[in-house]
Amino acid sequence: MLVGAVLIWVAVIGLSVFATKIRPGAYGEKAGLRLIIWGGCVFPVVVLTALLVWGLQMMPVLRAEANGPTIAVSAERFWWRVAYDVEGESGVARSLPEGGVPSANEIWLPVGQRSEFLIGSPDVIHSLWIPSIAGKMDAIPGRVNRLVVEPTKPGVYNGVCAEFCGDAHAQMALRVVVVSPEEYDAYVARQSEPASVGAEDEGFRRFMENGCDACHTVRGTAANGRVGPDLTHLASRRTIAAGTLPMSPENLATFVGFTHRVKPGVQMPGYGMLAEDEIAAIAGWLETLQ
Amino acid sequence: MSDVPLDQSATRWAGKSDAETAEADLNFGNVPPASERDQDDPDVRAGQEARLRHVWAEPKGWRYWSAVNNTEVGLWYTATSFAFMLFAGVLGLMMRVQLSAPDNDFLTASFYNQVYTLHGTVMMFLFAVPIFEAVAIILLPQMLGARDLPFPRLSAFGYWCFLIGGVFVCGSIFFGAAPEGGWFMYPPLTTQERFSPGYGPDIWLLGLSFIEVASIAAAVELIVGTLKCRPPGMRLNLMPLYAWYVLVVAGMILFAFPPLIAGDILFELERLFNWPFFDPERGGDPMLWQHLFWIFGHPEVYIVFLPAIALLAMIIPTFARRPIVGYSFIVLAAVGTGFLSFGLWVHHMFATGLPAISLGFFSAASEAVAIPTAVQIFVFLATLLAGRVIYSVPMLFVSGALAIFVIGGLTGVMVALAPFDWQAHDTYFVVAHLHYVLLGGMLFPVVAGVYYYWPMMGGRRLSDKLGKIAFWLMFIGFNTAFLPMHWSGLIGMPRRVWTYPADIGLELPNLISSIGAFIFAAGFVTVVWDVLRPRKGEPYAERNTWNAGTLEWLAEVPDEAWGVRSVPIVTSRYPLWQQKNFMADVDMGRYYMPDAEEGMRETMVTSVLDAEPLQCLRVPGPTFMTMWAAIFLGAVFILATFHLWTLTLITAVFAVAAILVWLWRGTAMQPEKAEKDVGLGLKLPLYKSGPQSVGWWAMFITMTGDATAFVSLIFGYFFYFTVSPVFPPPMMAGEEIGPGVLWPLVALGLFAASWLAALLARNTNSKGAVGTARLLMGGGVVLSLAASAAILWGPYVTGLIPTVHVYPATVWVLAIWTACHGTAGALMLAYCLARSLAGRMTPTHDIDIVNVALYWHFMAGTALFTVATIALFPLAV
Amino acid sequence: MAIRNKTRDNLWTLITTPTIWAVHFVLSYGSVAYGCAPNENIFQGIGGYRIFVGGLTVVALGAIGFLFFRALGEWRRNGGRIPHEEDSVEVRERFLEFSTVLLAGLSFIAVLYTALPAAMMVDCR
Repeated sequence: MLVGAVLIWVAVIGLSVFATKIRPGAYGEKAGLRLIIWGGCVFPVVVLTALLVWGLQMMPVLRAEANGPTIAVSAERFWWRVAYDVEGESGVARSLPEGGVPSANEIWLPVGQRSEFLIGSPDVIHSLWIPSIAGKMDAIPGRVNRLVVEPTKPGVYNGVCAEFCGDAHAQMALRVVVVSPEEYDAYVARQSEPASVGAEDEGFRRFMENGCDACHTVRGTAANGRVGPDLTHLASRRTIAAGTLPMSPENLATFVGFTHRVKPGVQMPGYGMLAEDEIAAIAGWLETLQ
Repeated sequence: MSDVPLDQSATRWAGKSDAETAEADLNFGNVPPASERDQDDPDVRAGQEARLRHVWAEPKGWRYWSAVNNTEVGLWYTATSFAFMLFAGVLGLMMRVQLSAPDNDFLTASFYNQVYTLHGTVMMFLFAVPIFEAVAIILLPQMLGARDLPFPRLSAFGYWCFLIGGVFVCGSIFFGAAPEGGWFMYPPLTTQERFSPGYGPDIWLLGLSFIEVASIAAAVELIVGTLKCRPPGMRLNLMPLYAWYVLVVAGMILFAFPPLIAGDILFELERLFNWPFFDPERGGDPMLWQHLFWIFGHPEVYIVFLPAIALLAMIIPTFARRPIVGYSFIVLAAVGTGFLSFGLWVHHMFATGLPAISLGFFSAASEAVAIPTAVQIFVFLATLLAGRVIYSVPMLFVSGALAIFVIGGLTGVMVALAPFDWQAHDTYFVVAHLHYVLLGGMLFPVVAGVYYYWPMMGGRRLSDKLGKIAFWLMFIGFNTAFLPMHWSGLIGMPRRVWTYPADIGLELPNLISSIGAFIFAAGFVTVVWDVLRPRKGEPYAERNTWNAGTLEWLAEVPDEAWGVRSVPIVTSRYPLWQQKNFMADVDMGRYYMPDAEEGMRETMVTSVLDAEPLQCLRVPGPTFMTMWAAIFLGAVFILATFHLWTLTLITAVFAVAAILVWLWRGTAMQPEKAEKDVGLGLKLPLYKSGPQSVGWWAMFITMTGDATAFVSLIFGYFFYFTVSPVFPPPMMAGEEIGPGVLWPLVALGLFAASWLAALLARNTNSKGAVGTARLLMGGGVVLSLAASAAILWGPYVTGLIPTVHVYPATVWVLAIWTACHGTAGALMLAYCLARSLAGRMTPTHDIDIVNVALYWHFMAGTALFTVATIALFPLAV
Repeated sequence: MAIRNKTRDNLWTLITTPTIWAVHFVLSYGSVAYGCAPNENIFQGIGGYRIFVGGLTVVALGAIGFLFFRALGEWRRNGGRIPHEEDSVEVRERFLEFSTVLLAGLSFIAVLYTALPAAMMVDCR
């Protein structure tokens, strides 16, 4: 398509140079009309018809039935709520199915299978885009959209939100990890496990004291908030704050302490008022949530 | 026509300015009919010119701002559009500074969002569309050999609306209160207080709704101007191509802007009163906004593009030194594009999850529209091929425009394919595409137009040297800025991001883009400097300096306010090339209307197909009333933005009053005699009502736009019907659902009665039964007020609460729309009654009631569709 | 024949064929959107709606074809010749006929394009 476009551009511009500089006035009105009919009518009709047929036949193929897992992706300001192995259908006036294995901001996919995303949003319109794997699909409140993806090469890919959704739109990213089907199954099984947390852990105590559990769930503990991302296996993810920073204790501490400097506009309040060692304790504990 | 050459001394009337001429010397009212005068007599011509000059003179001092003539209003319009464009350009540069490096903090996220929102909004609403209106207001009458457009005060009103609305929207950013939801304003991000606190979206909506009013006013003006104010003999096949484009584009405005106005109404009702049109929790759907916005938004691209292409269609023949090759093909392309562009809107929504088959229709139309576009390009190439091209600065910009636009067109063909678009959508690829289309298809042609037409506007040519420098800076800067964006988009840079992370390959393309943007800006500043620089010592350009063939080049240098010395008879497409001794005959006043015998501003009205003379139209002169009307109407919108309801109502009353005063004093004036000799033995009536008059056309066209907005609201109703599982929703406990059947039918009956009253009033009045007509008008007022009350009473009495669910909200919107139109209809009948009582409307001078009767046809249709939709349709499902 | 030869063209006849395209487009999209709403059972065929679009297409193409040949015939029989720049009622009429022919051609292609998705896609996915 690109080569064709370049050729057409060169032809058109070449013609205009030819007409004005090289052989001005060499042709009459007859030649001009022939040019309009062949260049302006016949040629575009032929090319456009071919392109259109090609584009149209591709559309249903790209939306074929899935044969892999169904994954619910809820795009929320400004992160991705993920649930593996859900049951549900796309459609208007629907909401995303409940249940499944919860996670956030990192999606694993089995290679060579057609997995199906069910995409929705509880707040504003977002759009899920993983450039190297598939085209984009909007997440629209009140609708459940469907996107079929068929990754062909294992690896780690970047994804972003492609529809403007507010201040932190630029920092609403995610990672997509494509692995073999076996690894995928093992991963989902691991994610479905509760966290192993000692109740006397200093970091966990601070976490609960400061009310983090109001928004975050750590399965296996009393923390069961539903507002923010599920943190049960936080440390197994590659990034924090929806693809904004690489996972590390320092970055966790930075995000807890300087939330809005890292990612302006997020709902999570900054905890800069906590003592440094307190933040470090929380971050250290979060780092253990493998 | 005689072949006597032009006597320059006569046309340069002894160097006397009109200020030195007392009105008594001008002999108004005592001049023999034009046909009896000898145009070869210099004294006769001198007297005529003095009168014309006096009549068309622009007001002096502070009264200058009361001018309504197309040359003044057009100039203000153009200058204001360019001012807004420079403002938005600075915003664009701020964005490029912010994005020049990863993780930059030159702008905060929130401020960046305001900047990019305003950049898009201002460029589209305050530059791209208004510059078309501005240029058309200046050029169209000149090109049609008319003295002015048919409704000069409407142009002035439109301009003041545009200025007030534009300053309001742009000014908001200095208070950090600008909208930050993007120029597309997608709900629910923008409708719900929790996501968009403050006044930003209200400023956007109300400010722009106000400007849309101005656009529709301009569209009415330009359609009537093109169809009815052509010079005698300029048949449709002889019309300058520019006029064809203006006709098509103004028609498109009429069908494209009203859906947005309908969308704005729904949007603002949700923001101000919590009516849940876009809230899925109460049955609403954010997709409706996207439909309404893009039904406007895509045709708008062509509304922007076609008038600029129209400039190319004027410039290219001049420099190719021959008539255009393939005139009919241009007409095909303009009309075809105008239609097809309405079948593209969903290609902005390819990623919204609509069924592939639905997307397919729009993909198909998006490919189809490339055909007429290609035809236009090849018409230009063919003209260049068949001509002997003279190179000049305007042609340089024309070539640049073609080179850039073709790239934008080709990427457009790519993104029209849904599978490709799913990748490219909402990325910098699209940013590159749209800038290639809009700058290649609009800005470069407009700059070419500036260089081409400046000798006519400003009397002097712009500098060739600066023009070349500006062109190369702009051309190189543009491509440096936007070509890399194709790449950064495809590797994953989404649009509307205020920053991006390092080391994913985006640094280099963004840095190059930022550098290019500044080179481009330097080029544009050069153009601005070239236009504005003082050039006192420079000689005037020759008249018709490029040796063009069309009527606008009759303009004298320095310009005369009268437009054309006499209204010529046109028998060819390029009269200055093809009609012998044409300019001299015009200047000698050998054609029609060489005089202003009665001291009135006059222009000629002709028939649509063959431009046969129909009427000598008196057009109104300077007034401040249009400015007041715009100020009060602007105040209504601005005060509503800040929820100051009492003041809003008061200013609304003032606005209506100002408009009524303007109409009362300035329209449907009874002339002192029935007809007038306009020269060459032709007598034309001075007053006409009905389908041959310009006022009737204006009403018809306005109401077509109004009906489009109404249909958009009806579309909303059926949209909800389609997407909802059950619509109207099942009975809520104990409440009757729907507005009932009784009251809507009562309202329909009353509306039908008032419609009949209006029609009968028109007929009885024209038959001379003035008393009966007055009774009918009075009765019509009462009936239509009662009808408006009845249509509201239905949903009120059944207890429909619009905030509960989208269904009652939709019913209410339709009822209120109808009631408002019913009230306006009552006001119009009352106005006719008052005109009749005041003796300003008589059986022979009945423009008012004829036009109001036309309004009532539309009104009756509105009532019928409303009642059928809200009361009868639910019975059928 | 004699009557068809005397059709008086005007701006309305000029835009008839693209208007047919517009109506065809709106009805095609509207019917399919209604058939697919609210996007349940996306793999179920919507044959009925596709047949409707097909029928509509035949009617639209027929109407456009008729207008095409009507205008072309009148133009030819009356000695139409571009560039139509003479100053007479006849030439203006020929100009409108020729432009109608061109627009009919474009509308014909556009209607065919619009019919393609309905021909190529069977369901609401």
